[in-house]
Amino acid sequence: MPKWFTPAAILCGLMFVVSPVLIARAPDESAMGMVYKIYYYHMPSAWMFLLAPLVCGVSSALFLVRGLAKDDRRAWAAAELTVLFGALTLITGPLWARRAWGTWWVWDARLTSSLVGWMIGWAYLILRRYGGPGSDKLAAGVALFGAVNVPFIFISVNYWRTIHPPTTVVPKLPVSMGVPLWFCVTAFLLLFVLLMTMRLRLEQTRTRLDALYVALDE
Amino acid sequence: MAAARAVCVVVMMLCGASASASLAAQPPQPQDEFKPVGNNPAPEQIPAAPLLIGAYIVVLGGLFFYVLSLSRRLGAVQQDVQRLEGELKRRGRG
Repeated sequence: MPKWFTPAAILCGLMFVVSPVLIARAPDESAMGMVYKIYYYHMPSAWMFLLAPLVCGVSSALFLVRGLAKDDRRAWAAAELTVLFGALTLITGPLWARRAWGTWWVWDARLTSSLVGWMIGWAYLILRRYGGPGSDKLAAGVALFGAVNVPFIFISVNYWRTIHPPTTVVPKLPVSMGVPLWFCVTAFLLLFVLLMTMRLRLEQTRTRLDALYVALDE
Repeated sequence: MAAARAVCVVVMMLCGASASASLAAQPPQPQDEFKPVGNNPAPEQIPAAPLLIGAYIVVLGGLFFYVLSLSRRLGAVQQDVQRLEGELKRRGRG
């Protein structure tokens, strides 16, 4: 692991310990009450869920153009994080919606496109796991669709009729709500970088292992 | 004539019923701004605490188990690498 990994991991752990204190001190929301506080983990998870397919898509595009294994490894790592953060977003969202909207789920543009994005992440991983030889390039093609879906997910709340809050709520947040939110966003971003580093390390070690098996056979 | 009038009344009633049903089925309007609660918070109909605690358990638990799974996978692969490197060294000596 790189030298910065351990201090960054300690810092990230501390941020996740401190974040519930900041969230508990933040005020409740006037219409939704206390359940609004799910937002402080839901929104950063959702942003990482948008970042991961972008990293996966760009790395896959680079892999298709340049054919370098390191781009493929980065795409695979990001695809796994797409599924992880997608699951967190798609579970915490309905828990919030149950209280805020009176329903667990609505088939609007934001929720449906998010579900599609999450399933594209799964499709990538299933292709890599069971696709056999050549699945790396097929999966890279799937990842491009996942990346193209990201701007659609982001703008969907501003362009289509939905009960999901639009993206404009974030800049309008008062300081008492904004500070805990941006603190959590930073913690999740740091965690994303750490998880990507760990997952990349796993792929690099697997590549080394494959090379050793080949060397033993010769 | 009376039959036609009766049909009209039934159609109007059906239209009214479907209109009121569709109005009732309308989802609430989206919030375009989040505001801190004032001094008199509204009473809660669905308890928020279990949903809030559940959401935080899901996120922290999910992240914890993913890190655990990643560490185990990495540890297992690193062990295999060390084992094979040892075997290669032995063969090199032989």
